[in-house]
Order: sequence, then C-alpha cells, then structure tokens
Amino acid sequence: MSNKLPVAVGIDLGSAFTKVIALDEEGKVLQKIIEDTDPYTEKQAGRLLDGITGGEYHRVSIVATGYGRKLAKRSTRAVTEISCHAKGIFHEMGHGGTLIDIGGQDSKVIVISDTGAVLNFTMNDKCAAGTGRFLEVSANRLKIPIELMGKTALEAASEVKITSTCAVFAESEIVGLLAKGKPVDHIVRGLARSLVLRVAAMAHSLHPPKPFMLSGGVARSPAIRAFLAEALGQAVELPEEPQIIGALGAALMALDIHKGK
Amino acid sequence: MSDPLNIPSRKEVLSDYQSSGQDFVAVYPIHYHRALLRAHDLMPVELWGPSQYSTTSADAHLQAYTCSVVRCGLSFALDGGLEKARAIIVPHSCDSLQGLGSVFLDFIQPKTPVLTLYVPRGRREMDVEFFARELMALDKSLAKITGKRPSEKMLHSFIDNEQKADSAMEAVLNNRIRIPMSNRQFYELMRTRQYVAAEKFEKLARDTLESMQQDNRTDCSHKLVISGLVPEPAELLSVMDDAGLTVVWDDTACIGRRIYPETDDADPYVRMARSILGAPPDSALGSSVEARLAHLLDLTRNKQAQGVVFWSVKFCEPELFYLPQLSRGLELAGIRTLLLEVDISEPASAQVQTRLEAFAESLT
Amino acid sequence: MSLRDSLMYHLNVSLLGHGALRIQRIKAQMTMNRQGWWHHEHLNPPPVTSAWLKELISRHYLKGRWITGTQKVAWVTSGAPIEFLKALGYYLIYPENHGAVCGIRRVGDEKCKVAEHAGWSRDICSYARTDIGTILSGKTPVGKLPKPDLLVCCTNICQTVLYWYQVLAQQFKVPLILIDTPFLYSKAPEHALDFVEKQIQYAIETAEKVAGVSMEPKRLRHVTELSHDAVDLWNRIMHTGRARPAPFLAFDEFIHMAPIVEMRGDQATVDYYRALLAELEARIKNGTGALKEEKKRVLWDNLPIWFVVRKFGNLLASRGVALVASTYTNAWGELADLIDPHHPIESMAKCYIHPILNRGTGQKLQTMKTMIEDYEVDGVLLHSDRSCKPYSIGQMDQQSILLKQLGIPALLLEADHNDSRVLSWEQSENRLQAFFEVLGV
Repeated sequence: MSNKLPVAVGIDLGSAFTKVIALDEEGKVLQKIIEDTDPYTEKQAGRLLDGITGGEYHRVSIVATGYGRKLAKRSTRAVTEISCHAKGIFHEMGHGGTLIDIGGQDSKVIVISDTGAVLNFTMNDKCAAGTGRFLEVSANRLKIPIELMGKTALEAASEVKITSTCAVFAESEIVGLLAKGKPVDHIVRGLARSLVLRVAAMAHSLHPPKPFMLSGGVARSPAIRAFLAEALGQAVELPEEPQIIGALGAALMALDIHKGK
Repeated sequence: MSDPLNIPSRKEVLSDYQSSGQDFVAVYPIHYHRALLRAHDLMPVELWGPSQYSTTSADAHLQAYTCSVVRCGLSFALDGGLEKARAIIVPHSCDSLQGLGSVFLDFIQPKTPVLTLYVPRGRREMDVEFFARELMALDKSLAKITGKRPSEKMLHSFIDNEQKADSAMEAVLNNRIRIPMSNRQFYELMRTRQYVAAEKFEKLARDTLESMQQDNRTDCSHKLVISGLVPEPAELLSVMDDAGLTVVWDDTACIGRRIYPETDDADPYVRMARSILGAPPDSALGSSVEARLAHLLDLTRNKQAQGVVFWSVKFCEPELFYLPQLSRGLELAGIRTLLLEVDISEPASAQVQTRLEAFAESLT
Repeated sequence: MSLRDSLMYHLNVSLLGHGALRIQRIKAQMTMNRQGWWHHEHLNPPPVTSAWLKELISRHYLKGRWITGTQKVAWVTSGAPIEFLKALGYYLIYPENHGAVCGIRRVGDEKCKVAEHAGWSRDICSYARTDIGTILSGKTPVGKLPKPDLLVCCTNICQTVLYWYQVLAQQFKVPLILIDTPFLYSKAPEHALDFVEKQIQYAIETAEKVAGVSMEPKRLRHVTELSHDAVDLWNRIMHTGRARPAPFLAFDEFIHMAPIVEMRGDQATVDYYRALLAELEARIKNGTGALKEEKKRVLWDNLPIWFVVRKFGNLLASRGVALVASTYTNAWGELADLIDPHHPIESMAKCYIHPILNRGTGQKLQTMKTMIEDYEVDGVLLHSDRSCKPYSIGQMDQQSILLKQLGIPALLLEADHNDSRVLSWEQSENRLQAFFEVLGV
C-alpha cells in the first residue's frame, strides 16, 4: 500500500461483496479492499470512498458499479457490471473472447471484441439458478462450508444427478436424495455440475467466440472451473484475482475519465 | 421536458365516465374494433394488466405459468374492478386469454356480462369474411345489453373517427424524434388511446404535433425500436430516458401493432374486419417470421435505430417463439437486440434495469 | 421421383425393412405366448398384439428415413385433418408424436437444451423445443426425420402450434397451410363451421399444387372410411377400460394411441386395432385385468408425463390403483360419430372444430363428469402441464368442483409433458402417496 493519493477509483457494490480498487496516474494499483456488502450500502460506500480519497474528491475520478452503484453518491459516474467486467478482463488478459462471470446473485456471459468492446451479453433470469446463491442454499442444507464445496465435489468418487436447476426445487431434491441415503459428497458434485450446465447453456445461447474466461467469486472453486471446461469443451482462462474484475474495470474507466478520454 | 398537454390519466377518464353517466366496456388485449362499441354508445377502456397489481385473487384460478397480464387482469376483475363496466370483452388473442374467457364464462360467471371475440389468424379473404360475421355476432350480443341497433351509416361514421385517430397516432410516431418528450411522457400520451375517445385522442395527437420542434432532437444519444406486448413496468421507460435511449418506433401489441390501415368497404363489418386484419405484422395475428422481420428491418432503417429491445412478458408464447429468428435476422443486418423479460405484476427488477443500461453502454 | 431414391426406398423399406420387422414381431409374439415369460409383481402381461404396435411404428419411421424423393412429405399438428393429405399420397410426420417418442426414450431434455442454446425460451412448449432441437441437431432416436414439402397447422389444439409452425416455415422455407378453428366457448356458430370448411377446401387446393396431383373423390372417401373405422375401433378399445377389472389402462393407451394419431386412414391401423380389441374382449371374458389386483380406479386429465410414464405406472400399480381412462386419449375417439365418409369435407369441418381442447373449460369438466360415471372412477389426477396452457388453464376450477360438488378426490400435479427438469419427482411422489391414502389404498 502506498501513501500516494489515487487519481482513479473503482467501486463494485455487489450483492454479497463490495470491492474497491484505487489507481495512480500510471494505472498502478495503490489499494484494494474487499469486504462484505453492508445492508446500509450508501453509508458503506461513503465510508470507503472517504477513506480511499482522503476526502479530496475534486482530485479523483470515481466509477461505481454493481447493484448498489447508484448508492455511491460521490462517484463521478455509475456504469453497469457488464461494461466494467468487459473492461477489467480485457485489461487483465489482453484479448477478447467470452467472459463468464458467476456472481452471488446473478451470472452473466459477455462477448468481448478484439478491441475490448461489448458485442453481446446475457444474464440469468431473476431466479437464483446458475448463481452463487444456488450453491450457498445447497451448502447450507448439506451443512458443508461453502469454501469446501469445490474440493468436496472434485474428490467425490461418484456423482448424483440433480435435475432441478431452481434453488428451491434443488433443496427439496436434496432432501429426497439424503432420505435415500446418497452420500453428501456425491450430491455436492451433482450440484456443482448442475450449476455449470445452467451457466454453459446461457453461454451457448450467444454463439460465444473463444477463448472462454471466468470471473466472479465462484470462479475460485476448482470444481466449477473443471466442470465448466468440460461443458464448454475447452479450458477456461482465469485472471489472477477473479473476484475484483468488475472493480478493476470501474477503476480503469475512472482513469480514462481522469485523463479526459 | 415538461408536460404541455395535460395528458388525462385512466383514473380521471374513468371517473369522468362514471360521473357523467357514460357507459363503458372493459376490453382485454389485443384486437377488436372500437367503432363497434362506440356505435352502441359504449366507451372502450382497455385492460393491459393493470401493472404491478397483486395476482393473489387470480391465483385460485390460474396456474403460476400463466402470464402476468392475464393474472393481473383477472385479479382486478375478481377484486371488483370491473363492476361498473356494462360488459367485459375478451378477444381471443392467445391460449391464455382463451383460458381467461372460458374460465370467466364457465366458472367465475361475473355479474357483468362477458363477451368473446375470435380473431382469425390469417389474412386471406375468407378470414376477412369470417371476422366480419364474428363482429356482426358481437354487435348482436351488444344489442342485447344496450338495446341499440346501430345503423350502417352510424357504424361508418365511427369507423371514420377511429381511422383519423389511428392516422394521427401514426403521424406522432413518425415525428417522434422532433417531439420534446421523455419516453415516459410519450408513452403516457400514446396509451391514452386505450381509454379516451378517438376524437379526444386525435386532438391530443394533433396538439402534440403542433408543439414539435423544427429539427430533430439532439439530446437522444441512441435510437431504439421496442417490440413486445406492453411497455410495463413504465419505470423502465424512465431508465431508458436516463440512459440516453430514445424509442423512435413502437412495435408493441398495445400501440404500434394496432395502427390499422384505412379501408373503404361498403359493408361496415367487412370494413372493420379488413382494417384489423390489415394491421402491421403481429404474432397474435399469426404473422410469419419473415413478415415480422421485414417489418422490423424496415422500421429500424427508416428511423435509423441502432437497436431493437424485445420487451417480453414472461410466459408470453406468441412473442417468445419468434425471438431467436428475429434477433438473428436483425443482428445479421447490424441491428443490436436486447431481450428484456418482465413480470408486469412486479416492479422492474434491478437486474432488468442493469440490462437496459448495459445495452446503452454497449451502443456507445 | 429419382430412380435411385426409388430403388433405395424399395430395397431398404419394402424388401429388407418390412421383412426384418415382421420377423422381430413374430419372435416377440412367440416369447409372449410362452408360459412364464412375464415377471411383474403387480402387472399382468401386456396384450400380445403389442408386438404388432412396435412393428407398425418402426415401419412408419423406417419409411420416413428413405422417403425423400419418392413421396411428398407433410409435417402436421396432432389435431389436423389429414384425410385429404393421405388421399393425395403424402407421407406424414407428426412433430408432437415424435416429441413424445423422444420423451419416452428420455432424450427430450437433450433436444430442448439444443433449442434453448439457440435462443428459444424455456417457457415455450417442450414439444416445440424438442422438435426445434431435433431439427437443429439433426439427431433423433428414430433415425432421421424427412424434411417437409408442406406444413399443415390446425389450431384446434392450441395457438402454440401456429407460432411453432411459423418457426418451421422460416427454417424450411416451405408453404404453411393454416386451418384456423375458432375456439368454441359454447355451441359452434354457423359462420365458424363455414370458415373451417372453406379453409379445408383451400388446404386441399394448396396440397394438390404442392403434390402436383389432383384429388380423387373416391380415394378421399376411402381414406375417410378407414379413418372413421379406426376412430370407432379406438373408441371401443378405450371403452374396455369400463370393465372391472380393466384389461387396458390409460398408460397402455398412451403408447397404443400412436397409430390413431399418426396412421389414421391406413388399412394397417384398422387391422391392428381390430386385433387389439379382440384380445382385450377376450381378457374381459376371462376376467383378466391389467393389474393383478385392482383396488381403485382413477381418471387422468391432460397429456402424459412422457419421461416417467413407466415409473408412474409402476407406482400406481404397486398400490392397486388402475388408471382406467384419460381425457387425453379420449380426444381421438370421442368425435367418431361426426365423421361421415359420404360428406368428407363438411364432416371434417365439424369434426375438427370440436376436439376437447377447442371447447370451453366447462365442457371439459362435463366430459370428465361423464367419464367418471361411465368408468366408475374413484379419483381424478389432473396433470397441470406447464407446457400446455389450453389443457391446463381451468383445471384449478375443475378440481375444486370435482372435490366440492362431486366429492371426488382430485389431485393437481405440477409437471410438464416433455421437460423433466420441471418435475420434482420427490415432491410428486409424496403428493401421490397422500392421494392414495385419501383413496384408501
């Protein structure tokens, strides 16, 4: 961390986590914060931004993104997650392709051109199918810490087929499977597969160009990565820090604003 | 942007009808002929929802996979919303409205008489003939309620009024880019056609045209066509305003697909039938994908629109079937498309708003 | 018709195919006639005629595999008038039946997913998605579906087929004949009957043009006669379910209905149903039921849940519950009297505007009430089919009237005819068990 004041800040107020990235004039990351999103999001955004800018708002450009983007009152501009993710991933990977982002409340697939522009995108419909929430609900039911789900899924010797993609339906299906004595790890593996298939279906509907890239908190799960590669028929590229891609994109946009682009 | 017109709300109009003793009829979507009702001295008031109305009462009759337009509409009726109407008309527009009409007649049996109207799905001469006779049958059913027997001359004169209102509507749409109104205001104006008299709508439309600018507006960054059933929840129109998206033509079933062409048959029933079946391509009228695509391509070209937003109501099969082939055809022609899926019984989700905003950003 | 196509057709279908399928059937029948071949805890062996059904269906699809270039092909909706197409020599494909085949073989989801990947919503009918998926993937469990020269869409079952066939018309770029049958909220108005008759006449003209042949009235009358006879036999087969114990269940009808839907108007269909009826009548005489022990009798409403038909059948059988009738299979028999071979077109108009799905929801309740009496039914299972709104809307009121006015136990079961992802088997099984408890078995 440096004492230098940033010139550009990106803040991603997601449904589960809030991510902040601060950049200097050269685009170097000065500071990075990840914390749980507070129910009092507006206050939280104010506190984070006050801290990171030292209150000197006139010197800093700020781009807010994520569900709570309009609650960051001090931001210069609010931009959707779609544009920010595209910007962030293009910067990180240096090429276009198809980005799959699996977030807490929603998942999205974004087709990015060779120059980094958004060509097309889709998002899951309002139910939790195909999102992190789906795994969370299921993890709760199975009493497995969510962080361990990926490992458990990968190490399971066998897999139970989960037909329901709806989180609510899946929960009752899990109860049924447990009642039949199915081992928990087999069910976990089936759940991860079910989530991936749903997301892959979303991707297919866009006639997605290669390569595939993955971001979002769920990307940290090794099982999701492995199953996704299977479902898409090829490896999936992962940025170093998949969770902060949206915030990074927002910060890069802020830098563009700062430079008058 | 101000509201120079003083656009009357549905509530105001309804309360006017009631205080002045003007009889009115509640009409479910989509196609029927207003002149037939007017000739019976009945004012048509259309029921597209109402949006963001609780579906609880309808949940005892309709499964959750019935679209929200039908569920809101039935709930509203069950809660007593249509008690003051002289009749309820349910045009046969799709499987769900078919079910609604049938459940009304067979099981709910409200005090207000329920009338149905079968709208044929072809545009052949035999479709016109059948529809004319179907309108005649509706005329007879209305006569039983009103005791009136409108003359042919009277029917023709009411048809003339409707044609004038439709052509005024078309003129307003054609000049949209010169009218300094937000999307929200613009749709409030256009949708008065669903509950005010044709003469009144024509005046509102002509006043709007008089107030328009000489030149095209400079404040709309992106021009769009919207296609679907009904642009609800209306707050999404404001989201479009904020995102710099301006609707330059409408292809929704409640507005643009009901700009009926002028017809001049001597028989008023045939004249009405031919006019309705001459409407722009519409899934609910059984149009081919090819006709709908050609129509959308024409519109986007003429209006220099960059994209088409498919504003679809969840579970609405007539719209959903066409989307993949329409989107593909438009994308091949360089027109961007976006699918919005809404449930009109609920407020717009943050997710849908994000889609619209992201679409605007990606057009930049 | 090219010489090569014709040669290939006759070699593969007429010579090799027919022979092989006949041998298969004879072998199967020999097995079925042997004592002790059948082991099921709750079900008696199926009719021996079943082997014939398999031959009929396999032959139909085998023909389709080689038909291109030898005969014109029309894709038609399940409720469409087809007598004129048969008389003009068309080979017919029923995408809905094909969808059911995919459902029974449990590949419906896979096809649906292909359509969904191409952008079709999961909220549209799963038959349509299965069909679109089949076309896009080119894969089907029946080998190959021949491309259509003509599409015939009759809206007497739903409006969905119209949008679906518009998608097909766009895909194949072939003419689409629409037979629009105004929905009957009550009695059929004269102008609606005229309208349908005119459209059938127009359809014949169009089909003649596409086929390049003219209609021979004699031939039309002959096909209509065969159609009438098959429908009449099908009706009598369903009526065997009135016997106690019932020798034939709605689950059997779901499978044996294939010829009445897709081979109506063929001599083979009449022959087959005649044989089946004879066998069932013999079973009634012997007192042989479909179930080893029949405790209660139940009526089914709506399409089958194809991907669990067998599982469902076994579940009911294990509790001694006989599914003796269904409004769905009944739909292909109830209009038998309306078909008049001497006035084929006029009677076609009348017949094809009157199916259960083209009449009001109150009429459907009336049909159910009649069937409840005729079949001495103890309970009703209403499949609330997410993919079929015209069949499902109204069921909530129908159920409540059955329960309250008639005191008949009635269960509304949420599912889908071809998309297994919609069904939660655990939940459904639970509800069914509770329903059985209400029935007292």
